[in-house]
Amino acid sequence: MDTRPLISVVDDDESVRESLPDLLKEFGFDAQAFSSAEDFLSSDWVGQTNCLILDVAMPGMTGPDLQRELTLRRQEIPIVFITAHRDEHVRPRLLAQGAVECLFKPFTETDLLAALNTALRVS
Amino acid sequence: MPDQPENPSEQDLLERLRRAEEALRLSRIGSFTWRVATDEITWSEQLYRIFEFDPQQAVTLELIGTRVHPEDIPLLHDMTERARTAASDFQYEHRLLMPDQSIKYLHLIAHETRSENGEVEYIGAVQDVTDRRRSEEALGKARSELAHVARVMSLGALTASITHEVNQPLSGIITNASTCMRMLEADPPNVDGARETVRRTIRDGHRAADVITRLRALFSSNGPVTERVDLNDATREVITLSLSELQGNRIILRVELARDLPAVTGDRVQLQQVVLNLIRNASDAMRGVDDRPRQLLIRTRQDADGGVRLSVQDTGEGFEPENINKLFNAFYTTKSDGMGIGLSVSRSIIEKHNGSLWATANDGPGATFCFSIPRYADAAAARHG
Repeated sequence: MDTRPLISVVDDDESVRESLPDLLKEFGFDAQAFSSAEDFLSSDWVGQTNCLILDVAMPGMTGPDLQRELTLRRQEIPIVFITAHRDEHVRPRLLAQGAVECLFKPFTETDLLAALNTALRVS
Repeated sequence: MPDQPENPSEQDLLERLRRAEEALRLSRIGSFTWRVATDEITWSEQLYRIFEFDPQQAVTLELIGTRVHPEDIPLLHDMTERARTAASDFQYEHRLLMPDQSIKYLHLIAHETRSENGEVEYIGAVQDVTDRRRSEEALGKARSELAHVARVMSLGALTASITHEVNQPLSGIITNASTCMRMLEADPPNVDGARETVRRTIRDGHRAADVITRLRALFSSNGPVTERVDLNDATREVITLSLSELQGNRIILRVELARDLPAVTGDRVQLQQVVLNLIRNASDAMRGVDDRPRQLLIRTRQDADGGVRLSVQDTGEGFEPENINKLFNAFYTTKSDGMGIGLSVSRSIIEKHNGSLWATANDGPGATFCFSIPRYADAAAARHG
């Protein structure tokens, strides 16, 4: 049985879906990528995900929408938001709603690793 | 007038007078007479009401002076002085400072008459235009706020969209490079994996470059520009739009538009964007100027080679000669809140019109920005030739 934590990445941007799982695997995690919140919800990975890296703005269901849906389903997955919109107002709001961290793209691997460590400690 | 009896009775006359006074009262118009030689002044009841003086008081210029807004006293002196010497019709607008510190705006019109012995007497009307002025001020304020909001919003929205578009590929580049580093540092190194991340890094680099290319395309022409444009007209419209902003920035505007200016070929709105950009740059460049007049001169004329030229000259900060080439670079700016894309975009618009845009330092303070584009006939001949 694989004991490495599973990180799921949900982002409509393809280059994130390609690059981030590779880096996560280099960190020593397991990784899955999804192009939409709907895809993630209908997958078999929701219950096994230890941490969610979630894009804020996506067509259809947004990152915060998914966060609310997971809360309704009582799926307490720690969430690290990522966003390319450098809006300083967004971060405190997302943190207040229970997110572990909100990183602005482009982020450094140090910041990402620190956020993931916090998230996994929480869970 | 209909049904006027030829010899109205005294009662008729009184009735007409009553109606006329009622109309004047309703329209807040007071009337006066002023015999210049003796300074004899008579006021209508309504004028006493406007000034809020006791109707029993004798009206003198001194008494009037006690109500006129202190800042407008020179105006009053100027008005009486001219009326005495020039003896011709005149009109003035000035303010009153009332005992309760409120301000009234008055519009005065005076007509010169002469009595039988040749003495000058003015007969005039004074209208209380406070409400109108208040609403004009409110309108002007709302308009300039709206213009400011629109400008900030469009720039803000543009900045946000560029930031987003560029940050996406940058994020990919950094993540891929981080992964690459780790793959190469592994023992043994994962060369195949690293090669794949480098390939993706290159692709995302091109994506970022494409964003910039698209940004430039956004501001350049979508299709042929063949419209016949009167540059004077187009410029006048832009000036009208900019007036309140220029006045707010205490700028003295002079406009010298050449008569018989030939039409040019182009996209009217894009050319107006360029003119607007040059005017705003000039206005911004004079924001910190306090030791000399902030003068803006907008000129059009026909060039020796037949082209049509527009120049915008300011008395602002100007620019260092060594920066002249940088001025037109995208993202070069001297403003704390600017993105520095205005001049770069303006130049690409003018070049699309087969023209050129350049800057020169003035002999005195400030800078002059000019563009010149071929006139309509030449552009049409070039297309068909």
